[in-house]
Amino acid sequence: MAVLQEISEQLQRGKAKLVKELVQQAIDEGIPAKQILEEGLLSGMGVIGVKFKNNEVFVPEVLVAARAMNMGVQVLKPHLQESGVQAKGRVCIGTVKGDLHDIGKNLVKLMMEGKGLEVIDLGTDVAPETFIRTAVEQDCGVICCSALLTTTMSAIGDVVKAAEEAGIRDKVSIMIGGAPVTQAFCDQIGADVYTPDAATAADAAAELCK
Amino acid sequence: MANLTVWLPNGDTRTIAFEGEPRLSDLLAGLDGAPQLVCGGAGVCGKCSVAAEGMLEPPPEGGACLACRTRVCGDAAVYLTGGRRLQGIETGGVMPPYVHRPAAGRYGAALDIGTTTVALRLIDLAENRTLCTLAAANPQAALAADVIGRMEAALSGHGAVLQRMIRSLADELLSAACGQCGISPEQVGARVVTGNTTMLYLFTGRNPKALSAAPFEADCLFGMEEQGVYYPPCLGAFVGADVACAVLASGMTATHATSMLIDLGTNGEIALWHNGTLYCCATAAGPAFEGGGISCGSASVEGAIDRVTYAGGGLAVHVIGDGEARSVCGSGLIDAAAALLESGGIDETGAAEEDALLLTPTVALTPRDIRQLQLAKAAIAAGMQALSQEAGVSLGQIETLYIAGGFGRHLPLESAAAIGLIPTALAKRTVILGNAALSGASLLLLDREAEGALGAISDRAVCRNLATSPRFTDAFMERMMLEPVDDWA
Repeated sequence: MAVLQEISEQLQRGKAKLVKELVQQAIDEGIPAKQILEEGLLSGMGVIGVKFKNNEVFVPEVLVAARAMNMGVQVLKPHLQESGVQAKGRVCIGTVKGDLHDIGKNLVKLMMEGKGLEVIDLGTDVAPETFIRTAVEQDCGVICCSALLTTTMSAIGDVVKAAEEAGIRDKVSIMIGGAPVTQAFCDQIGADVYTPDAATAADAAAELCK
Repeated sequence: MANLTVWLPNGDTRTIAFEGEPRLSDLLAGLDGAPQLVCGGAGVCGKCSVAAEGMLEPPPEGGACLACRTRVCGDAAVYLTGGRRLQGIETGGVMPPYVHRPAAGRYGAALDIGTTTVALRLIDLAENRTLCTLAAANPQAALAADVIGRMEAALSGHGAVLQRMIRSLADELLSAACGQCGISPEQVGARVVTGNTTMLYLFTGRNPKALSAAPFEADCLFGMEEQGVYYPPCLGAFVGADVACAVLASGMTATHATSMLIDLGTNGEIALWHNGTLYCCATAAGPAFEGGGISCGSASVEGAIDRVTYAGGGLAVHVIGDGEARSVCGSGLIDAAAALLESGGIDETGAAEEDALLLTPTVALTPRDIRQLQLAKAAIAAGMQALSQEAGVSLGQIETLYIAGGFGRHLPLESAAAIGLIPTALAKRTVILGNAALSGASLLLLDREAEGALGAISDRAVCRNLATSPRFTDAFMERMMLEPVDDWA
């Protein structure tokens, strides 16, 4: 289906207006909404994710492509709801208490949405209780914690502890990331998955939600 | 143990003994003429290139190496030619009308400490006139280019070094200014020191810990006299006394009209005056507007392209000093992006047609440079939008946009509107203030009553943290596009 390929390509180029038109065209051609989402929009965002991981593109390209994806999704949304397409899983994400850095966290969110996951963004300076409450109330399969500072990194450990205390450790996976975070740190605090970049994080979350 | 011999700009030499294989830039930090790590030591800006020889890894190419990327493995020598340059800067800078009610004493000095540039103005208080204005690069940049890096350096035990660096530059600027005017520094009585909150912390030897972690509440907002120096009030941890002074100099809070002020620098600070409240925020623009992180970028120095136009199917440039083009400064970068949009060299998503976007046969921008500009302009434009939306102010309500900051003096408004840095409608209602922080600080010396007005400004200021605002995140994505902004949808 040429139009899906075209959607993917224009999305990668950030041509939001064209993406919108092409999504409408695909709907008019009778292509199922789920297929437009997966083979058009998400496939394009996936390519950008890989390029970002390989340092072939940078933050502006990712944001420009994500903007085009959002516009495409807007057109598609009513049709997705009509055909009862479900998100592949639900994730909550935030920057830990004491830390206000959110560029990396926002990229991870975009990449996860690009994988078809529903992402609840808790923002920055998020208390451990907020992560836990959201995961329980909204039935999230994954909690994602980000920290950019060595001084705030320890707050990730508090989230793991809070999850243990709440007795949800077997129901929810905890993913961690951020500049100073390492696999060794992940092992030390007993989190489940550490990923070094946004695209890998999205892959890992999709895997965990399967 | 091995030795590094450093040839200083004044001809002296210094021998530094070291062990292991330290980075060259670490050994040079703090010395006069030490290279600045504009890109934070990432090895991409090329600004810390120094002439060197000896046991260096990687070995110097053509006699030069990047100080941030080179390890000193044994005896070596390095030649620092740059040195500290004091520049006379334009004494212009818009001042509101004021009554001449000067501080005591014949002479006064106002100092504005920016993250990148430090400026001093010597004033004849009795005669009500500026004697001279001098500026120099902030020597603390040798340790870290931006505010966050400076705080980290201070917190890891370099606070005293940072304080010594800036204090000695301040003394040097004052002596040089006095020397030019034939007076002695002892004759300068009244002194005002302004700057962003972190810079004032470092100048006064305070520990910036409170500024470096949430909830980011400064434990000292100044607005007081200390050891004979008046420090104007800071408005918050990220919105400093320099913004308070700029607002004072603009006179914006003296009217009922809704208006906005932007200080265009490494940290873009924005203040919005509406219904008796001054909404403030800071947004991390990065050093692109000052030429930092741009492959051929520079400050507005001789040889820098400062204007670019697209006409008759080709690009035309203007070079500062009218000589050969060697680099591009901030205004040239904004102009170039607008011209390239017109010529089709780049599109509105920021994608470039070619790997080298030639401005002249010898100076070209890279696709990466355009991306850097996008990040900087999106931060400012999104900050303006998010702050206005939080205050419930529409684009049409803003009667005047004031642009402060050294770089802002040269902002090409038409191009800034073409790339969406500032909304098209506001570009037509813009007043360029120049170094408004310094003007405001000078005003405090020339009119004793101005301190009251400044107090009212800080009382009415409300700082907003954009990082926690989803509005900002959305706007940041939207404003990444290089296209005119007609409204904040």
